[in-house]
Amino acid sequence: MFSLGLNSGAFWARPLRAASRRMIATAKTSAARQQEILIAQRKNRPVSPHLTIYQPQLTWYLSSLHRVSGVILAFGFFATTIAFGTSALLGLGLTSSNLARWYHEKVPRWMDLTAKGSFAYLFAFHFANGLRHLIWDAGKALTLRGVYTTGYAVMAVMALGGSYLLTW
Amino acid sequence: MFSRGLMARSAAMRTLHSTSKRSLTIPFLSTLPPTPGGVKGDVNDPTFTPPPDKLHGSVHWDFERFTAVALVPLVGSGLACGADLSVVADSLLCSVLLAHGYVGFQSCIIDYIPKRVYGKNHNYAMYLLTLGSLVGGVGIYKLETEENGITGVVKALWNAGKEDKE
Repeated sequence: MFSLGLNSGAFWARPLRAASRRMIATAKTSAARQQEILIAQRKNRPVSPHLTIYQPQLTWYLSSLHRVSGVILAFGFFATTIAFGTSALLGLGLTSSNLARWYHEKVPRWMDLTAKGSFAYLFAFHFANGLRHLIWDAGKALTLRGVYTTGYAVMAVMALGGSYLLTW
Repeated sequence: MFSRGLMARSAAMRTLHSTSKRSLTIPFLSTLPPTPGGVKGDVNDPTFTPPPDKLHGSVHWDFERFTAVALVPLVGSGLACGADLSVVADSLLCSVLLAHGYVGFQSCIIDYIPKRVYGKNHNYAMYLLTLGSLVGGVGIYKLETEENGITGVVKALWNAGKEDKE
């Protein structure tokens, strides 16, 4: 093999060049055609997967719950203040005692319990987790250990504080 | 064996990729026509960088923190005294709560009704939020001047069914 010179680069240079010449094909296109190819290729791009593919973890579950609880609580606050605002602007005569009487007479027991339960627990959670966020904003507890410790603490506050609020 | 594993894997990948061709959108809101692959323009277009704006950047961030930090003593004192706040404290609580809810809903609109997908509907959602907050402000004024504030409302509702039980 060595005597034939098969290991020398010069021996293979010509056939290799010929082969590579044959394997690469170039085609002339216009800029507009290239754009079309690009668009067609972009249509084949996979859609990024949704939340369901991620492993359930305390970190992002609490993060989601923070937003959900915030939205529910703020919705309640906005509904109340907007109701009073609309009543004031249109002269509908809504008062706290009116509202309380309506609530007492018309809202069934299970709905009352659901509303109070969600308010108590979600409020306790949002308050505690808001403090957790402020701790993070101060640059503290930003390790994996810190995130989990504060996360469990927040869940404990939610359980205890929520239950305590329900007894009021 | 190797090739069978590879084939099964690529089949699984295909299913994963073809399960959701389009992303989730809000049904009753019109969206802008989707661009192929979610990309605009060609490869030679420069990246668009929005001009720096403090009002949307650091000032907005600081304002969010300010409302959150201010709510800690306000809500804390409300809880500590059993929802028996003075008119001033209750007005402060209401105003800061309104601002906190406003920036919170703003973040939600930015995330879930983005301009990139919904176009003008994003702006309409923001206008609706602002209008609602203004009416809410009127409501707060009413609550503070003629009623016992938001704590009074919460108290009245919380104890609405209590008379029966006791």
